[in-house]
Amino acid sequence: MSKEEKVLKKKSPRNAKWGYIFIIPFFAAYICCTLIPQLMTFYNSLFMNYRDGLTQVGPKFVGLQNFVKLFSPDNSGTIGILKYFGNTIILWLMGAIPQIVVAMLLAVFFTSYRLNIKGQQFFKTVIYMPNLIMASAFSMLFFTLFSPVGPVNQLLLGAGWVDKAVDFLNIKISVRVLISLMNFLMWFGNTTILLMAGIQGIDQSLFDAAMVDGASSTQTFFRVTLPLLRPILIYTVITAMIGGIQMFDVPQILTKGIGMPNRTSMTVVMYLNNYLTTSKNYGMAGAVSVVLFIISAALSLVVYSSLSRQYKKPARHRKY
Amino acid sequence: MKNNDQSEKARIHLLMLRILVYAILLFLTFLCLVFFYMLIINSSRSNAQLQAGFSALPQGNFIKNLKNAWTDASINIPRGMLNSFIIASSCAILTTYFSALTAYGIHIYDFKLKKPAFLFIMAVMMIPPQVSAVGFIQLMMKLKLTNNFLPLIVPSIAAPVVFFYMKQYMESVLPYEIVESARIDGAGEFRIFNQIVLPIMKPAIAVQMIFSFVQSWNNYFIPALLLDKAEMKTVPIMIAQLRSADYSKFDMGKVYMFILLAILPVLIVYLILSRFIIKGVTAGAVKG
Amino acid sequence: MKKKLTAILTASAMVAALCACGGSQPAATTAAPAETPAATEAPATEAPAAETEAAAETEAAETEAAAEESSEGKVFNIYAWNEEFKGFFEKYYKVPDGVTVNWIITPSDNGAYQQKLDEALLNQENAADDDKVDMFLAEADYILKYAGSDATQDITKIGVTDFSNTYNYTVQAASDANGVVKGVSFQCCPSALIYRRSIAEDVLGTSEPDEVQAKLDSWEKFNAVAADAKAKGYYMTPSFAETYRVFSNNCTTPWVDADNNLQFDPQIEAWMDQTDEFIKNGYTLTAGIWDDEKNAQMFADGKTMCFFGPAWYFNFCMGNAQDPEKGCSGDWAITEGPAAHFWGGTWLMAPAGTDNPTMLADIMNTFINDEEVCSALVENEAQFSNNQAVNAKFAADESYGNEFLGGQNDVAVFSAMTDNIVWENHTIYDQLLNEGLQNQMQEYYKGSVDKETALKNFYNYVNETYPAIVTPQ
Repeated sequence: MSKEEKVLKKKSPRNAKWGYIFIIPFFAAYICCTLIPQLMTFYNSLFMNYRDGLTQVGPKFVGLQNFVKLFSPDNSGTIGILKYFGNTIILWLMGAIPQIVVAMLLAVFFTSYRLNIKGQQFFKTVIYMPNLIMASAFSMLFFTLFSPVGPVNQLLLGAGWVDKAVDFLNIKISVRVLISLMNFLMWFGNTTILLMAGIQGIDQSLFDAAMVDGASSTQTFFRVTLPLLRPILIYTVITAMIGGIQMFDVPQILTKGIGMPNRTSMTVVMYLNNYLTTSKNYGMAGAVSVVLFIISAALSLVVYSSLSRQYKKPARHRKY
Repeated sequence: MKNNDQSEKARIHLLMLRILVYAILLFLTFLCLVFFYMLIINSSRSNAQLQAGFSALPQGNFIKNLKNAWTDASINIPRGMLNSFIIASSCAILTTYFSALTAYGIHIYDFKLKKPAFLFIMAVMMIPPQVSAVGFIQLMMKLKLTNNFLPLIVPSIAAPVVFFYMKQYMESVLPYEIVESARIDGAGEFRIFNQIVLPIMKPAIAVQMIFSFVQSWNNYFIPALLLDKAEMKTVPIMIAQLRSADYSKFDMGKVYMFILLAILPVLIVYLILSRFIIKGVTAGAVKG
Repeated sequence: MKKKLTAILTASAMVAALCACGGSQPAATTAAPAETPAATEAPATEAPAAETEAAAETEAAETEAAAEESSEGKVFNIYAWNEEFKGFFEKYYKVPDGVTVNWIITPSDNGAYQQKLDEALLNQENAADDDKVDMFLAEADYILKYAGSDATQDITKIGVTDFSNTYNYTVQAASDANGVVKGVSFQCCPSALIYRRSIAEDVLGTSEPDEVQAKLDSWEKFNAVAADAKAKGYYMTPSFAETYRVFSNNCTTPWVDADNNLQFDPQIEAWMDQTDEFIKNGYTLTAGIWDDEKNAQMFADGKTMCFFGPAWYFNFCMGNAQDPEKGCSGDWAITEGPAAHFWGGTWLMAPAGTDNPTMLADIMNTFINDEEVCSALVENEAQFSNNQAVNAKFAADESYGNEFLGGQNDVAVFSAMTDNIVWENHTIYDQLLNEGLQNQMQEYYKGSVDKETALKNFYNYVNETYPAIVTPQ
């Protein structure tokens, strides 16, 4: 915000009170419903604490032992959590890059007066529809499609492109592509809508002015749309990143929770989930959460600060 | 002459562009609709037919599945839809209203904890929700809040991701001058928020309402652990219950039909709200 | 994006359950049993009261009378994951006047049922009388988690003492390490070798159950026949894991030893050896037991001779075989096969601290010892009841036959084979260890990893799932 704004605000002390009043409901609800259980989990990372059947083991203080265990190589010399972070990042990039690029393109198409796309309502509805299917149902459909006796294989065999059914769910590349494709399909419509709402929020007179000044559509996009859209774009990138780092449901269901083949599609949260579901191993799960939290918080703050620094300059244009 | 040539060229250029754009849109439409087509096909097949694998054509059990699903003795679909609707719409309203309120509080006002509060929300946004789910359930059971919609609705007041969106949106569309001019006109702080800021935020609110509605509508795990009375159950619990059915009553056709039915209300909500995304701005914008 | 975050909570586990049939099959990642130290030693347990000779009817009548007079709780809470038993209960059990039965039904998807039940049982002491768990249902896959714990109680002390007609393994399954019985099953699920008559004719020269059994009654014979089948262009089994249960039900050691070290039973090793051989020679497919690829083998043009499964499997889960156009109903028959085993079943468990012990005992007695009710289960509900006398009556009925099996009397076959089923050497880790091993080995059989890596991945899975188990280094 600009200097004048700050001066204005400092002049009215009642503002501070209202600031607190406005944010109190959020924090009250967050602390009660989410923060307390979360902190318990973090705290638990220092304890041995799990359920063995119906018997509770611990909590017994073990210091950083859970973290040591987390970063020790397993019997084949791999440090599990690093491998799963790697998988997660690859899967995320494979899905998120096309997702944001395509969504950006579509948002521009839809909001362009020049292109004046017919049947917009139809297209907008359709692209969001995959998001409405529950992830579990969506995976069921993917399973049927890509099973060794499924229609994709029937097509490939029928066309003579392969001599033998392809086992899509047991080949590293194809599993990763399928996961990314599902994530893309489920989320690109969502991102498009976010960006579109952002573009719609931009004062139309700015586009009109650019047009009068004879700017081409490319120029309009880079000089008007993009700078003004930057806050929403930052949001999109950061949430795509969070969504990516917390990626779980699609690979979990598609690979029956085992991240096949050879755990190359196992994500960090799937790993976390392994500790949590059966044995309620809050010790190890807490340790994974702490690592996950540190890494993703650091990443987000880096992305946020670098993107919003760039944004500061054109922001001055906002003062119409 | 030259002008004509140029405009002719531009027209061809535009035409090509349009063709390309429509081609892309049609391709994506196909990708998105294939799954709905499969869903409809599957909901027209009996359990035995489904076991046989994929089919490209409907198989005539649609009405039977619909009837079976709708009249299932132990699963009351209309009731489930009503329950889901109450929870999802409450969540959608609370989430968007309070996130916007919080974002506004942090965006417009200056106070000591402003920056820490913002950083706090940014940081907790990253914590995976699994981490708190089990603790939350235990807490709610201790408080005897099972079979109650409140534990499913109240937490939606605090949605860090929605807050972040609102905050970013305000940064791009809400000039401080609007607020200040309203203050000079003597409007109270809440009135400014409700009557001036909210209308400007309409597209953002509509977007997040849709998303939180869908999210809440499809939410399974926590409701399944908190709601066990038949008349309180939501749609995803009912679908899961159909899938838990014993082998003699197990009917995937019914499950697919139920999934299809479950999508309809969300689609309607989406169609209604998506109008606001288009129209919202022009109605509420105030020039700075 | 926000939805993505929370979708996490809703997802998982379903696929296996989805492609499959109902309540009795394993769900892929369902939260499941861990164990109490006592149960790891899990020796064979004798049903302690099996010899008790109390007359069933009088016993039931007595307890019923007692229930009516008693001043026990007015609310009876039953925890379950589906409505199967609820249906039977409402049809065949007369609830004492003044008692309200409350069904708390939580779907099993994503482990929700056990999660819900665990919280309730762990809170049992502090719960108000009307909120206490008075009975709960459990599946074979995780029954030991409850039977082996203090959350359940000795049913012989509340009036269920006559096990003379129930099948021994159903009593063993519901008993703790010391042989204390904690529940009863209202059904029995012996699993048979289900074979295609026409293929057996071609491969073995006969399709008669007795003659087929003679040629397939040991694994040596079974493996040898697999080669003959292959020579004639058939598969012996439709899935690499088809025979897993047949082996694992007959283990001579539990999954973990007294010090909680993971160990492979010779039966499990035998399964691996057999499957290595079968895959190498093309005697079987790499599909999982619920996969479309396997199900496609049930059609008339399928090439597989042997399936394994209980009555519920061939009656309800072999839809492809029953298809009027592409199926082959009537071309099937069952026999015991190389080893006796069972698959599935639902037990009624007695929680400690119930305030309605008399009514609980009365329900249990009704469903195992009331001849009329057990007959009705067989006759009206297509159940193989847990009452030997009642089943024998139907087995002897020559007019009874299953069309799908070409008129064979399946109750007779099952009655004959149930004596050989044992419940021994189980731990409360079994469900997920069996599932996990199959999943990891499937990767090996599909050729994505070598055997050593598959086993290492299995150990990693065990470490993550059960912190108490020590895996080989």
